[in-house]
Amino acid sequence: MKQSRRYAIIGSGAAGTEAACQLRNHDPDSVITVVTTSKLQFIDRYDLPRVFDGVDDWRELLVHPPEFYHDNKITVRRNTWVSSVNTRENKLNFRHKETMVYDKLLVASGGGGHIPEGLREFSAYLNPFTTFQNAVRLRDSLGKQGKVVMLGGDMVGLDLARSLTAAGHQVTIFANETLFWPHEIKQADIAQYVKALEAMGIKVVFGRKPVAVEQISRPSKGTSYSRRLVFEKGKPELANAIMPFYGLMPALNFMMGTGVDIERGLLVNPHLKTTNDKIWAAGDVCQIWSPEDNRYNFFYGWANVKKMGLIAAHNMTGGSTEMKTSQTNKLKITKNGVLHSPYWEHD
Amino acid sequence: MVAKTGKKTLKSLRKLTDMQISFCGSAGDGTIAAGDIFKRAMAAAGYQIIAFDVYPPEIRGFGKCIARTRVTYDQVYSLKPESDVLLSLNDAHAIPHVGEVCDYGAVIYDDSPIANIEEGCHMSAHLKPAQLPYGVSFREISERATSSARSRNIVAVGFIAGLYGLPREVFHSTIAAKFANKPRSVTEINLKAFDLGYEQGVETFKIDTCYFAPPPKRDKNTKVLMMHGNAAVARGCIDAGIKNFFGYPITPATSIMEILATEMPKHGGRLLQTEDEISAIAGIIGAGFAGSRAATSTSGPGLALMSEMMGFGAMTEVPCVIFVSQRGGPSTGMPTKTEQSDLNLAVLGVAGDAQRIVLAPTNVEGCYKCAGMAFELSEKFQTPVIVLIDLYLSNRYEAVTLSRKSLFKSDNSKWAKKPSKREPFNRYKLTSDSISPRAIPGQQDCQHVITGLEHNEQGRPSDQPEMHETMSRKRHIKLQAAIDYPNLAACKRFGDMGKVRIGILSWGSTFGECLEAMFTTRKRGITCSAMKVVMLSPLPVDAIVKFMADCDEVIVVELNYEGQFANLVMGAVGRPVHRLNRVTGMPMAVDEIIAAISDLTANPSAARTAAQ
Repeated sequence: MKQSRRYAIIGSGAAGTEAACQLRNHDPDSVITVVTTSKLQFIDRYDLPRVFDGVDDWRELLVHPPEFYHDNKITVRRNTWVSSVNTRENKLNFRHKETMVYDKLLVASGGGGHIPEGLREFSAYLNPFTTFQNAVRLRDSLGKQGKVVMLGGDMVGLDLARSLTAAGHQVTIFANETLFWPHEIKQADIAQYVKALEAMGIKVVFGRKPVAVEQISRPSKGTSYSRRLVFEKGKPELANAIMPFYGLMPALNFMMGTGVDIERGLLVNPHLKTTNDKIWAAGDVCQIWSPEDNRYNFFYGWANVKKMGLIAAHNMTGGSTEMKTSQTNKLKITKNGVLHSPYWEHD
Repeated sequence: MVAKTGKKTLKSLRKLTDMQISFCGSAGDGTIAAGDIFKRAMAAAGYQIIAFDVYPPEIRGFGKCIARTRVTYDQVYSLKPESDVLLSLNDAHAIPHVGEVCDYGAVIYDDSPIANIEEGCHMSAHLKPAQLPYGVSFREISERATSSARSRNIVAVGFIAGLYGLPREVFHSTIAAKFANKPRSVTEINLKAFDLGYEQGVETFKIDTCYFAPPPKRDKNTKVLMMHGNAAVARGCIDAGIKNFFGYPITPATSIMEILATEMPKHGGRLLQTEDEISAIAGIIGAGFAGSRAATSTSGPGLALMSEMMGFGAMTEVPCVIFVSQRGGPSTGMPTKTEQSDLNLAVLGVAGDAQRIVLAPTNVEGCYKCAGMAFELSEKFQTPVIVLIDLYLSNRYEAVTLSRKSLFKSDNSKWAKKPSKREPFNRYKLTSDSISPRAIPGQQDCQHVITGLEHNEQGRPSDQPEMHETMSRKRHIKLQAAIDYPNLAACKRFGDMGKVRIGILSWGSTFGECLEAMFTTRKRGITCSAMKVVMLSPLPVDAIVKFMADCDEVIVVELNYEGQFANLVMGAVGRPVHRLNRVTGMPMAVDEIIAAISDLTANPSAARTAAQ
């Protein structure tokens, strides 16, 4: 009797979930297991700001209802951490001491917010924004008209910033060179984009280097600020929440020691295959070889990530599709004078 | 092709006031203890409780234990088919029960196992898409608190309490009470384990839809106790003034004897563990003959041994009480599983025509009441009385509201007056109610003997045909009045009154599930009544006939293979009934009753054919 092929996917985001769907299409009898650290099924990150519109029930943010996974026989192992990958025996080792065999593996573990080394010791006082839980905690810490300080700024942060200002909160960005990451902006153009940001009600401050984040256990009278941002020079800034947005750092610690080539992300060819015959990668975790640029590039944004999931699944089942690596994802200023990024677009 | 499953319209988060928590682990994990602390704390907080533990016959080391507790604002009558929370202390045992957790319910498990796990043997591999996982390092937290993994179960209780915002204080006092007889350090380390688990729960972001509304405010004039059926039986015995208990341990009745062994000396009573069940019943008949309130407790196999002496009790008309907790049979059967298959033995299982009174309470409060009333009935009608419960009721915990004063008469005997010197004392005198005045041995001018032989009014052996006819009639007729005994409902109807589409007839522990099924059926627009029959012997035939006449279809629900109660009813009433019988060793599932009713309403004639 023919044994079903076992596909393992690390990551249940846009790339991983799209890949799982496509694998089911291409290989109906296969065993598909998605492994994720999330306790919830796939929630679209772009929908998280709906929490500020009063959405309390995470079920409203699910991209697919639970029945979808049941109907398509896609097992999602939630709350599960991959500690390492055994490429000799084709096994995933989980933190809870279980191993899982795969025939083909897709790494779509995405990226986490990068925090500069000097601020890492303060991460307990920083508010990330990657999960429903993060979103609810941020909302609860802000109250009605809260003040948010963003560090660095990137297109993920700016996307949130426009939602926060629309919800009546005050946003100040202490910017650095990652302000418009991953867009590569010429120095001469920065001023116009900052102006567009300010037109959106977002305050941008350059030239101040944060060195510490402190918790305010007893807010002074008339304020509810619970965080203090200390700079290398000058007066500290008080806020309800301090959020780091210094770009994404691929989440691939578990791939260390596997022999698969890694630069910043997993290096893949345009077919999204890594240097291991049985491992593919998709989404924010991988750098794709771009013949046009003669280097490995990241390709961010909902459309790119989803497409990578689709292509990887196609190629894992015998296809030969290449990811288009000649892209122009330019930052724009609309007629209304506000900023718009193609990375903010999603289904 | 990928199946396209549309998004359903989502309702806002449920605000549950009705939660069921299941603790599941291996024998030795402290599963039952964790469930015990949880349910006692919830009862102390003021919630209504119904709980049932399932455990293996082995003491320790292997075998599955499950402690289920349903916590509600209002009174309910059975466990739910699905739990809201499953807490695993052993994934190998808990994984088969993941399917019992409702959608958007929580599955809590240890995510720091000490040994390597084979593929697919961790809980995370088995969650349904709509269930919510919480991985907690129970072992590590326990080791931090107590330098040992033994308090994992207490950490787990703490985690649940913290996650759902339950009051820490009631758990503290419950834990302190549980370990009150141990060295103080034991209480302290368990409190520490609880607190660390609690803090972990508080820090954990709650994603499931389970919710505890604040408990109802208590009436200070009532006394609410959380107890299981066997404890209620023991309490009923004490409140009724039991003086002697003779018994031999047997699962699931043993705890009746254990509790009484502690409590009876405080109330002037005496308890003796006999060498076997035959001696036990002989002891209580002797004590009853001597005028003492006496009882024994046993299970099916013990009752079988007692049957000869029960006939002796009926023949000699000596009051005594026998508590029987049924388990899976026949023979040794399934000692730790529930069943209702000793009805035939309890009602009919004696040599000769030896009718006796058999009571079958349907809930824990009923256990208390039937236990006390059994002594009254036994004295009033001078006969052995059997109180028939089962493992499900013996081990089921409920919050019980008890009166502060005893409900039971301390002496219910018809005592002999001093006869004139010319007349002999007629111990078995024929009277208008067929109940003869009784006397205790040594009572002046009331000397008599008792014998298993048929006898005349004086108690002297007689095998005259007329005498046997007369005495047989006396021993049966006197019991008929028991059906109308005050303050004891021989049967009771619930739900719709008058003509109904469906009637559910049931007895014993299964009746709670029948009530829940009846409520659901009525919500679906089908008229439905449920009748519990508490007195199985003598059977309240008139009331049952009236009930059945009101019902288009009658279904008899019970946990035995043969349909023993259905047979009893059909024999007495002469009308066929539908049957729902299960012998899984588990309580009857409400869903199964509802499904049977649905089949019945959809196609009654087919269902009838199947039933017959």
